[in-house]
Amino acid sequence: MTNNEKQAEPDPKLLEILICPQTKGPLVYDRERGEILSKKARLAYPIRDGIPIMLPEEARVLNDDEVDKI
Amino acid sequence: MGSTMEKERTTETSFGFRTVPTAEKAKMVREVFDSVASRYDLMNDLMSAGVHRIWKSTLLDRLAAQPGQSILDVAGGTGDIALGFLKRADARPRAKTHSLSTAFVCDINHEMLKAGCTREDAEVYSRRLNRICGDAQHLPLPDHSVDAYTIAFGIRNVTDIDTALREAYRVLKPGGRFMCLEFSHPITDGLQKIYDSYSFNIIPWLGEKVANDRESYQYLVESIRKFPAQDAFAARIHAAGFSRVAYENLTGGVAALHMGWRI
Repeated sequence: MTNNEKQAEPDPKLLEILICPQTKGPLVYDRERGEILSKKARLAYPIRDGIPIMLPEEARVLNDDEVDKI
Repeated sequence: MGSTMEKERTTETSFGFRTVPTAEKAKMVREVFDSVASRYDLMNDLMSAGVHRIWKSTLLDRLAAQPGQSILDVAGGTGDIALGFLKRADARPRAKTHSLSTAFVCDINHEMLKAGCTREDAEVYSRRLNRICGDAQHLPLPDHSVDAYTIAFGIRNVTDIDTALREAYRVLKPGGRFMCLEFSHPITDGLQKIYDSYSFNIIPWLGEKVANDRESYQYLVESIRKFPAQDAFAARIHAAGFSRVAYENLTGGVAALHMGWRI
């Protein structure tokens, strides 16, 4: 499982340049969960087949604990 | 024009000849492309008898990619424009101090992006070509981040075209180039008649036979008809902030290449 996930990781340079489409704020990459987190929007954008899905309607809403940890 | 546009935007928007709630359009367009993703490139070839390749090639000619430049190709699907950009930039002499050019393909449809990952001609560029699933109206890239913004046969499907144009302006570096290729309006009545009969009769039939989806191609034909004519669209590009806005009719206006600079 971890092997597959590793293969499907986006290019680090891409992760560096991406911003939150909703708030235009910075993002944090959560490698463990394979998600891209926006603190301001309280959203976790998923990554599928190595492709970041930067659509708020596809993102998971973060709870208070998760937001605090960012 | 302004007031009716405003009215449409708040409540309803066009989906081909139908009118649908604005919030629904993005989803409906996504379903169209989910449905045709695997056959998309083949259908383009069949519908236009390969002419779409010439149109895209014209866009790349005008863009004149240089080594070290970056491109964002929105609604980039399987990556035709981005790959063409990289190939052309690489073909030019490059000073040692210049890095290689890079590309982002952004599309709202994950299936289309995935279909692009399996392209054989994309393999050698995989380190310089990144795919992002995103919305043209809310791009996930910072201000002033790319040298070229392209959108080929995509802007027609965006719910709020003016928002997408402003986003294009935002992500372009000063001196950056905007290029939009889109179906447009034939410039003579004779051509319009031939084109009408072809597009309303042949294209939905082809869609049914090849992609097994008549509805999606019926939408395609109708959405082309609803798209603003050359001058009206150029005015909206100008209104988004672009300078030296111009367009070039392709195949007698069946398609048009709209261009602008961010200064």
